[in-house]
Order: sequence, then C-alpha cells, then structure tokens
Amino acid sequence: MIFDFVNRSLRSPSVLVSVEELIANSQGSRMPDVRSEVLTATIARRVVEACGLSALAIEDADGRMTLSLDYGKCTGCGECIEAGEGAFLLAESVSCGVSRQSLIRRWDVEGRAEILTCEEELSASAREIRSIVGRALNIRQVDGGSCNGCEAEIGALSNPYYDLERFGIHFVASPKHADMLLVTGPITSNMAEAVKRTYEATPAPKLVVAVGACGCSGGIFAASSAVSGSVDAVIPVDAYIPGCPPTPAMLLTGILRTLRRR
Amino acid sequence: MTTNPATRGAEATAESALRLLEGGNARLVTLFGSVDPDGAKRVHYIVDVNREYRSISVPVTGALPSATRISPAAAWHERELHEQYGIEIDGHPDLRPLFSHAADYRFLQVQGVGVCELPVGPVHAGIIEPGHFRFSVMGDSVLHLEPRLFYTHKGTEKLFEGAGIMNGQALAESVSGDNCFAHAVAYCQSVENAFGISVPPRGRAIRLLGLELERMMAHIGDVGALCGDVGCAVPAAYNSRIKESLLQASARFFGTRYWRGIAIPGGVRRDISTEDARAFGKVVAHAAADFAEMAQLILDTPSVQNRFEETGVLSNKIARDLGAVGPVARSSGVRIDVRRDHPYGHYRNITIEIPHFPQGDVLARARMRIEETRISARLIQEMLNGLAAGIHRTPVPREGSAEGFSAVESPRGELLYWIRIGNGRIIRCHIKSPSFQNWPCLPFAVDGNISADFPLINKSFNLSYSGCDR
Repeated sequence: MIFDFVNRSLRSPSVLVSVEELIANSQGSRMPDVRSEVLTATIARRVVEACGLSALAIEDADGRMTLSLDYGKCTGCGECIEAGEGAFLLAESVSCGVSRQSLIRRWDVEGRAEILTCEEELSASAREIRSIVGRALNIRQVDGGSCNGCEAEIGALSNPYYDLERFGIHFVASPKHADMLLVTGPITSNMAEAVKRTYEATPAPKLVVAVGACGCSGGIFAASSAVSGSVDAVIPVDAYIPGCPPTPAMLLTGILRTLRRR
Repeated sequence: MTTNPATRGAEATAESALRLLEGGNARLVTLFGSVDPDGAKRVHYIVDVNREYRSISVPVTGALPSATRISPAAAWHERELHEQYGIEIDGHPDLRPLFSHAADYRFLQVQGVGVCELPVGPVHAGIIEPGHFRFSVMGDSVLHLEPRLFYTHKGTEKLFEGAGIMNGQALAESVSGDNCFAHAVAYCQSVENAFGISVPPRGRAIRLLGLELERMMAHIGDVGALCGDVGCAVPAAYNSRIKESLLQASARFFGTRYWRGIAIPGGVRRDISTEDARAFGKVVAHAAADFAEMAQLILDTPSVQNRFEETGVLSNKIARDLGAVGPVARSSGVRIDVRRDHPYGHYRNITIEIPHFPQGDVLARARMRIEETRISARLIQEMLNGLAAGIHRTPVPREGSAEGFSAVESPRGELLYWIRIGNGRIIRCHIKSPSFQNWPCLPFAVDGNISADFPLINKSFNLSYSGCDR
C-alpha cells in the first residue's frame, strides 16, 4: 500500500522553492514599505494617526522631521497603505534575523530619503555556534502564548516547498538537543516560568530568536495585563523575525541570517 | 441577530434560562457576564432551541443557580463566570480557577496500587501550542486524563474594550491564528447584526470563499497530521504540500496566506477579478482532486485503519451532554452545523450537505474532515461560477450604541461573538470558541485508551489552545 503513495508522489513534479526565491522575500506578509520620494509631512502625520499599533511614529531629530517604522510592532493591517496616498506600498523585503534596533527604519521626511544605518556584527554566541555546528542546526520551537498563527507558518517550513532539512536544519523535541530556540509570543503570564525554564534547559552556546510581531514587541497584545510582553522581556534574545505571522520565506531568511549563513 | 427585547426586563431570571435548558431540544451555546454602566453585573445565556438562538440576559443580585446540574455543557462557562466576575454559583460541582494558575491547584487523583501520574507540558515536543496534561495511567492504559489549559490566556476579551468597531477584526484575527478568517467574519457579523447592516452580495460571496477555503486548508492539514501520527510519512508530506498550494494561491490572489486583513465590518477589503477567480478556482479544483485521491489511499491502508478504528471514541451521549460542536460533534452522530441551523451571509441562499458519522472514533473524525473538504471545494466552485456582481463593501456607522451577536461555523465548529457597542466603541466582547466547548470532551475519548494513542486522539480533535484560552 505504501508503494501506492510513493508512486502517487513520484508522478507529481517537485515543488521545491529555490533558495534565491526565498531569501529576503517578504511577499504575502502584508508588511508595508515607504516610497520616500513621495513622502510628505502631511502623509507622515496621517499614517501615524492611522496606525493602531504605534508601529509608525514621528520623531524630531535636530529639528528635522523623521518618520520611523518599527517592523517589530507592525502586523501588516494595511491601514498605512490605505491612508498613505501612494507613499506606502507592500514591502518586497523586510529584514529578518536581525537585532531589535535593526527592525526600525527611519526616513528624513523633508529630505525624502531613508536614513541608513550600518550593518551589525555577528554576536559572540552566533559565531561560536556557527563554528561548532557548521551547517547543522537543531531548533527547538517554543510557543510562549501565541495565537498559533506563527506555529502554522513554522510548521510549513517542513513541507515540500520549503524543506528546511535541505539546509541541515531540523526541529528537535527537547531543548536539551537544541542550538536555537525559536520563540513566539506574546509571553503570557502563565507561560513566563515555562519559557524561562526551557531557556535554562538549553545548553550553551545557544541562540534565541523571537518570532512574530508579538514575539518582537508584544504586538497587538502588548497592553494586556495577562501577558508579560515580548520574548526579550523574559529571556535574552539574539535576533528577531517580524511579521503577523512571518511567512515561511521570512522565517527561513531570519534563521539563516541569525547565523550569517545568508 | 440582535438581542430579543422580550427576553430582557423584569421577567428574565436565571431560573427561566434553566427551565429553557431543561426542555428537550435545547443546547447551551454560551454563558457569560457583563457589567452595566451603573456597575450592576449581568449574566447572559445563549441557548439553541430547535435551531433558533435565544438570548436571555439576567441581572445578578446574589448567588446564581448552576446550569451545570441541568446541562454539563455549562461547567467551564460557569467556572469562568465565577473566576472573572466573582459571582457565586450555587450547586456547581467544581469551581477551581481556569485562568489564574496558582501553585496549589488540585488535580483529580486516581488512587490504587500500580497507578502512576504522568505530567506532560505545558511545553510540548512538537510545533504546537502549550497546555498541561495530567495522565493517570496503569501500565499502558489511561485511567484518567485531566487537561489544564489557559497557558495562552492573553486577556483578549478585555483588550476589545475601548477599541473602535472598525479595529476589532484585527484582534479577532489573533484569537486563533489558523482560523483567523472565521473569527474575523464572526466579529464583523456581530457588528453588522447590532447595527442591522446588510453586507452586499459580492461581499457575502467572498466571505464564503474564504470561510470554505479556511476549512479546506485546516482539514487537509489535519488529515496529513493524523497520518504523521501513525507513521504514515508520505501522505503526511503530500497533504502538507496540497495545503501549501492553497496558501500560496491565497497569497497570490488575495495578498494574504491566511486571509488576514480581508474581513471588515460591512464586507471585505479585497475583490477578485473574473480572470483571477477562474485561476483561483483551478488551483482549488486541483487541490481537491489531489486530496480526494490521497484520502482514498489513506483510508484503504490497513495500518491506518488499524490505528484509527475504534480509537478515542467519544460517545453520542457525552458529546450531547457537553454540548460538543463542529466536526467533533458530527463524528459522534450529533447533527449540528451553524451553516445549516443558523444560516448567515451567503449560506442563507444555499442548501448545504452536512455529513455525519455515528462511530465517534478517530476514523470517523478523519472521514468527516475528508468529506467536508470535498463539500467545501464544491461550494467554492459554485461560488466562483456565479460570483455576484457589484460592490463588496458597504459603509458602517462609526457612532451609535447597539448590542448583537453572530455565529459562524469555523473549521472547528460553532464560533460566536457577542458585542455591546457604545458610541462606536466596543464596551464588551464575548467570544465563544468551539474549542472551549470541545476541550472537556477530549478526556472522555482518551480514558481507556493506551497513552501512546493520545497524540493521535488529540490530533483528531484538533482543538485550539489559544482560541479556548483567549
């Protein structure tokens, strides 16, 4: 009987998505990007008003108006794109597997240009893990209280389109076998202790990646009294993957980026 | 529908709600509290009597007579009411807290020589949500299972309070992330019912597309996961591939893999061109045909039959007593489905086939998901072939005060949102998720089985932790 399955599968062409198509591809995540050349002060004020999660903010840097967009808070609700009069559009690529600070982009509104910051260094633990495990990486996924949206997408990483194992990465059942914890949030009050203990049970060197808007910032649940907040409110975090939920391509990009394999 | 004014006022008492439950053909849908502007507490009962929702709202003055004595389906609802509103419930057998996790929580203990306690969770071994299971086992056999949930409790109902009515759907989408469209639609319909707004036909049609597609994706994924749990790796992988093809089609034609950001009070935010509708239909038809073929192979496999059949039986009596809903109920011979019993949106215009199986085992729940996938795919094709023309969204007043509720049949069953709106803002939102109702059924299906079958039985229920915990 099992041969019928194999036969059935072999008749279908491969659906494996190439690495080039996956890396730095955020399509389908609904995250916004800014067309700085058409950005105005009026639009900036309007989108800040429209954003229900304060992912967009106006800052005053030396008397110059700066618009900031924090992807760690953004759920891709699309309000800014509706209110942005063409200055906001769907992002093709969003940084994943970077520091919390690097999830925030800034634009000089009057100068109509993005304020670019320089690339950050690979952390000591990431360097150490890369030197020990080479191309093999064991991940323990931990749900700290999420809505299950991130889990659905993390689960998709193992399907024949993304096939995470081709990169030598696989999910393990115990934190004791893990090099990396992939933690979703928000960390609820009821899960905080379990998340801390899971972290402690993971042998060093270890990496922690916070996943999703809730994992990065508490997201839509940040104000709730029943949650402790973002993952880094409970355990140390090395890198962040934004999105609500992040697409499988963003998750894969973020995991590889954390180790600077991409 | 809006709350029936005839059931409000002086004559509505908790006793009258309980009498309603005592009569035959009555099923408790939900029970929850609210606080009036003057600070007075109120309890709301929603009961399904002969396929008609009756809403009874009762002011609370002292202790409340427990509905659990009449309908065990009320047990967890009354525990929640007691814990969150401090209302005394007279005659409730078990008022241990659900949400607050104190260290001195007492599990039911099974005593006797050779009985072992097996604690599992909250952190589970796979990519799944957290919860704790306390098994009392004798050798391989489970004598008793007690789940302790609410690890993912996020105070979601409280977060709705104060939000503008046009923002609530974003929160609804984050209640149970893999059924986010059903949650968003249930929320939007409750606002529309409160204000008496009618969604344009095209908006209703696109909602049906999303709801049935979400059901297909959930069921195809579940059947694959069931195969994975019995070591049948090839169909597990193949089903994940079929599911992914639908997710990618959603991203391509609707800009979102899980239909987030589409539902909005008054309709939907995305339309689809005739050309795209045709292409989308092709992907769905292909996925459905592929899955049907794969499903037949799965059901014909002796090792699968051996593991699925007579495993994790939920009896019809328990399912009825505990008010089970959705595919779980229908697989135990309880013929309920919101789409047929309380039609909403475009379901009012169509007759829908409701499969049911009497056996109540894992096999019945697997076959239920296979049948429902076939029916959903057909509904999507019919919808796409005769997609109503016109606008897909109608304006909703940003001001005004009203109260209303609405249910949809999510992939997991009856999902109900009840909201009270004051000056365009949400004052109270209650979510009755199908998993909250179905979780208490699971131990009855597990007891007497071997502990190694637990993951399989649990998967066949596929309950949402976050949806239940909120």
